[in-house]
Amino acid sequence: MPYKLLEVDKKIPQRKNHVYVKHCSDPEEEIPDCNTKTVPGSMSERGCAFAGVKGVITGAIKDVIHVVHSPIGCTSYGYGTKRYPTTPDMPNGEKFPIDNFNLKYILGTDLQESDVVFGGMKKLKKSLIEAHKEFPEATAIYTYSTCTTGLIGDDLDAVAKEVSEELGIEVVAFNAPGFCGPSQSKGHHVGNMTLFENLVGTKEPLQTTPYDVNLIGEYNIDGDLWIIKKYLEEMGINLLSKFTGDCCHDEICWMHRAKLSLVRCQRSATYIADLIKEKYDVPYIKVDFFSTKYCAENLRTIGKYFGLEEAAEKVIESRMEKVGPELEFYKSKLQGKRVFIFSGGPKSYHLSKPLEDELGMETVAVASQFEHKDGYEKMKGRVKEGTLIVDDPNSLEFEEIIQVYKPDLILAGVKEKYLAHKLGVPCLLIHSYENGPYIGFEGFVNLAKDMYSNIYSPVWNMLEFEEEPTEIEENIEIKEDSSKQETKPENTGELA
Amino acid sequence: MSCVNVIEKDRNVIINPLKTCQPLGAMFAVNGINKGFPIVHGSQGCSAFVRYGFARHFREPSEIAVTALHEDAAVFGGRSNLVAGIENLALRFNPDIIGVITTCSSEIIGDDVYGFADTARGNLKEKLGEDADKIEIIPINTPSFVESHYKGYDNAINALVNHLARKDEPNEKLNIIPGIINPGDIRELKHILALMDTEGIFLTDISDPFDAPLRPSKTKEIPYYPKGGTTIEELRDSANSLGTVSICKYAGTGATSLQREHNVPSKIETPPIGIQNTDQFVRNISKFTGNSVSEELLDERGMLVDSMADNAARYLFGRKVAIYGDPDLTTGMARFVGELGMEPTMVCTGVKYPEFNPDMEKISKETGSDIDVLYGQDLRAVEVYLKENPVDLLIGNSDGRLIALDLGIPLIRMGFPVYDRVGYQRHSVLGYRGGMYLMDLITNTVLEKYYEPTHWKLQQ
Repeated sequence: MPYKLLEVDKKIPQRKNHVYVKHCSDPEEEIPDCNTKTVPGSMSERGCAFAGVKGVITGAIKDVIHVVHSPIGCTSYGYGTKRYPTTPDMPNGEKFPIDNFNLKYILGTDLQESDVVFGGMKKLKKSLIEAHKEFPEATAIYTYSTCTTGLIGDDLDAVAKEVSEELGIEVVAFNAPGFCGPSQSKGHHVGNMTLFENLVGTKEPLQTTPYDVNLIGEYNIDGDLWIIKKYLEEMGINLLSKFTGDCCHDEICWMHRAKLSLVRCQRSATYIADLIKEKYDVPYIKVDFFSTKYCAENLRTIGKYFGLEEAAEKVIESRMEKVGPELEFYKSKLQGKRVFIFSGGPKSYHLSKPLEDELGMETVAVASQFEHKDGYEKMKGRVKEGTLIVDDPNSLEFEEIIQVYKPDLILAGVKEKYLAHKLGVPCLLIHSYENGPYIGFEGFVNLAKDMYSNIYSPVWNMLEFEEEPTEIEENIEIKEDSSKQETKPENTGELA
Repeated sequence: MSCVNVIEKDRNVIINPLKTCQPLGAMFAVNGINKGFPIVHGSQGCSAFVRYGFARHFREPSEIAVTALHEDAAVFGGRSNLVAGIENLALRFNPDIIGVITTCSSEIIGDDVYGFADTARGNLKEKLGEDADKIEIIPINTPSFVESHYKGYDNAINALVNHLARKDEPNEKLNIIPGIINPGDIRELKHILALMDTEGIFLTDISDPFDAPLRPSKTKEIPYYPKGGTTIEELRDSANSLGTVSICKYAGTGATSLQREHNVPSKIETPPIGIQNTDQFVRNISKFTGNSVSEELLDERGMLVDSMADNAARYLFGRKVAIYGDPDLTTGMARFVGELGMEPTMVCTGVKYPEFNPDMEKISKETGSDIDVLYGQDLRAVEVYLKENPVDLLIGNSDGRLIALDLGIPLIRMGFPVYDRVGYQRHSVLGYRGGMYLMDLITNTVLEKYYEPTHWKLQQ
């Protein structure tokens, strides 16, 4: 059986169906169970739907005010958590007066006991009006329901409508209280639906070209979007709308005018591409810009679509000239290193194969917090036999995977990073990066460099005190290699 | 005549909060227990955000379980989630203590966490037999819409002592309620206690859990537990101590309970930041234990006084400082900058507490400077204030970093969270040695910002 009950899951056997070891003879439809409720008390790494909508989807928009309708916690936790930088550039050529407005402020209603008893709608209304007064430069106000306001039944849509009419500014309500859906993924969905229903098709772009695209599901983590934007612009393609990295409220309103949508994060944002296709007949393609190979392939696809093949080749060639030799160096260093990728969603399949093909590493395990069926199918398709695939791993599973699969490096989030370190394994932040951007050609070099520095940091050779000093050889890398290989087990999946 | 001008929030909307909700304080408290695990009865975000926050500040793992409430729980109640959650946690992690922490959701739904905990205890008894009795399951009510993270911390400490403290033989120890402070701070408190020949029981002790050594050979067993933390025996023994000193004015309920229930006398004070506050802390230890103040400790005090004599007047005197953050740390810090001859012209706290403003009045009298007190305010209020009322230095957590950047005021990081610099969690701002560290930090910041442009002044 390809499904595997880990030792640490003996007491929660329902986890078995979420842990899968790939075998080539398995029926294709066999994948880990996913997008289901988390086992209570299991120490899962998942977040909530509110995190999905504000943290992922809308938090990147540069010119709107975010008002969280909640007791104080959700507002505090919504502040400054994602690395989504923005430029002040607005579509009409003007500059937004406050730099990185999206990173700088978060607003909330700070609900008290009396609000919970008597309802929080009045306070929300006052807060929205005050928000506008405090930041009159903002294009729109977004407001978010949370567990409390979901439970007490506050009607955010009604308040948004009322305030919008009163102030003459768009106010959009996002109804994704923390408890809805199994993970933050539900919040992505609500964010997509809400933005589509309220915004798309309500405004016209200032100008259009035959090469207008929507870049969907690219949030500009640590500047990723700026890299892709440069490639596309060099090819002669115009980013009419970004969803939602470094984007303005108005851009979303005219997404229906693009000639093509490119879907970058296919977990969090395929929804809106589908909706736009359905209603406005704008086709979309799913794109993957991680690694040089995927990036080149996808730029070629886009070039072909627009008849810009030569321009695409030029972009690819100019970048490869520079990054090719650098990647050769990192490949020589990363060859054979075992990696465990634990991403939020799609990075587990974006990166698994490129790390093997382009950097010579071995992907021994992949995992995701909130992927759905389609994502796991891709994950399974891109890993080799014997690779472990885990849905929503919890911290004990994380420990067992480290013990059994002995990765040389883990790509995961900040909640996992320091636990991995305690167990003696380097761990690189893959959700919002260490020294990114990680996308595209240059980004892949940044990633390779960060993986290299994490693995080869001299600290890993000095973890324990030794009674007798060991000679530090001149080339510690060789020593490190040979010592690791001795202890490397086969991918048996048994506890060591 | 110096005076305090209290400026309260004049809007409903909060912008860049300087507080968070109760559950965080309770999670922090339970993480300071050896083999203690918090389980939050709420949505996944309730644990994920806090774990993120702790990881970012301490650069350490923090294990906080959640019952993962979903729509069905909102309709039918969260009983099955909590019962299963406690059992799963108990069976897989083998903890000594499980702190069951409520949230806005579970309080609104009206879940009977005490009853559910009993059910879980019964189920565990069936599965584990006698061993189930070794696991303490302690409900802690922390409704997110009441007060702030400090209240949650206070409620947790109080629940722990109420549930666990047992009268027995006197132990000659001193209970310390440290408040929401750093591992470095707690280690400094232990150092002071050691110099006073006193053993402490910390309620609770996050020093090792949130600053744990990386020694894989010591932690290879699954699950990983950090070393240290207050043990369950120590928590029980807290009823037999000589006294309780809470150095967090906002978390004195546990101390009061111990006094009421077990006749353990208590003292609730501002944290020992700077000379006079540390003096008071030392006097309290001395009073409770009868031990005299050691020469070594007096030497430490002397070293701080010495460096203040050497540097404060020359570099710091009269400089204006704005301080924001948690109420106990800002109170302590305001007094210390006053001791350095600086003027705490603005002090802002997001948490409201009746003693805050009277404390500010005392400091104002002592320092002779007028203090604008932004009471129950937020960081936006600090920003707007500073645009009109410039200062030389800003002291507070990392959430003010963009304000400091925009206004060109150097920010000295202190409090929680600090995520844009490293090592702050390891240093103490408490005690005489903490004073030296703080003073060096402040002075060097002043030298870099205000003296480098005329660098010849720095030649000697």
